[in-house]
Amino acid sequence: MSVERLWSDVVDAPTRALLARRKVLPFRGKRPVLVPVDLYDLVYDGGPRPVRELMAEYPASCGEFAWRALPPTIELYRTARASRVPIVHVTYDTRKETDPGGIHPTNRKRRQPDLSLYRIKEELAPLEGELVVYKKRASAFFGTPLPAFLNELGADSLLIVGESTSGCVRSSVVEAWSLGYPVAVAADCVYDRSELAHKASLFDMHLKYATVMELAQACELMRNA
Amino acid sequence: MRDFEDYCWRDLVSDEMRAIYSAYVRERKLGPQPALIVVHPGESAGDNAWQSAAARLLEEARRRAMPVIHSVSPDSTPVEVLYSEGEAVCARPCESAFFSSDLERRLKAHGARALVVCGAPTSGALRATAVEGKSYGYKVAIAEETVGDESGFLHKMALFDVAHKYADVMSLEELLAQL
Repeated sequence: MSVERLWSDVVDAPTRALLARRKVLPFRGKRPVLVPVDLYDLVYDGGPRPVRELMAEYPASCGEFAWRALPPTIELYRTARASRVPIVHVTYDTRKETDPGGIHPTNRKRRQPDLSLYRIKEELAPLEGELVVYKKRASAFFGTPLPAFLNELGADSLLIVGESTSGCVRSSVVEAWSLGYPVAVAADCVYDRSELAHKASLFDMHLKYATVMELAQACELMRNA
Repeated sequence: MRDFEDYCWRDLVSDEMRAIYSAYVRERKLGPQPALIVVHPGESAGDNAWQSAAARLLEEARRRAMPVIHSVSPDSTPVEVLYSEGEAVCARPCESAFFSSDLERRLKAHGARALVVCGAPTSGALRATAVEGKSYGYKVAIAEETVGDESGFLHKMALFDVAHKYADVMSLEELLAQL
């Protein structure tokens, strides 16, 4: 399987051998919905540079990995819109009155970033009529109307992209699987601040919860929807 | 307490990666009014080394009358050495012990405000439970010896992710010292 090259340099052979027992729901869907998670300006901050050079000034940036995923994600959106596959955008809820203080999606020490940086990146901005889900926790489903939106849209499968692979993408994928959706993850359109964490979670999601695929395959499944 | 990065993932993580994750390094401690959630594996979770450490944690929790709740997958029974007659068992249809279960309701009944989570597999049900526990607003603690996975690689990477983002990971001795 060609996607195995995505993680074969970090995942050891005995662990890769577990794929023989993979019991993921086969990916099929006539009505997929594209769910991009947390593609806001903050993670592109500082430009396409190595994360280690950015962390002092931009501790939430995924630097070069975020920028590398941008062109394929733009292509994915273009294909979704041309194929009439709904996009439900997911981003962080920045409202002060929804923040009890001290409780955040992760335990990262936060210098309060400029809240305007949680605006969805311009090239990936929702179009008029597209839905947006605002979340406070790692999973796009936790405490949000996403499950209801998907029911109303008649979704029978999900294509999940965004960041971070080991954080919000992964927890959203686990919850999507738990809700019974066949889940696809477009590998070119997910990223993390570390390649090791990214690849380990890509593998683990493919093993347990989702079908990881390349951009071309993800575009094809939307065109065939 | 040991250095934040001085746990099972230390041999997988480069200095560069440690530097990239330095914003997550913080003081770790058990939260107030903890309950212990034992995540029993649905199927093979590798060798059972974690079970004796988890049994020790359970023994100490029982001695202190800490609430104990066993989360069990529908296609399995509780690990015998970890279960004691009369303790609460909560069915887990999917991965997280919270998903589609009455765990949150049971935690409320005990007045729990923090969680200690142990069990297997680290990269599956255990991890999903820690993430959702944090999402529900509980402070989550994990003793690294009390969790296990059939893949050493997935075990280490899952604990790395969880320790940085969602829960306070420490050694069993460090956790017991805080009970």
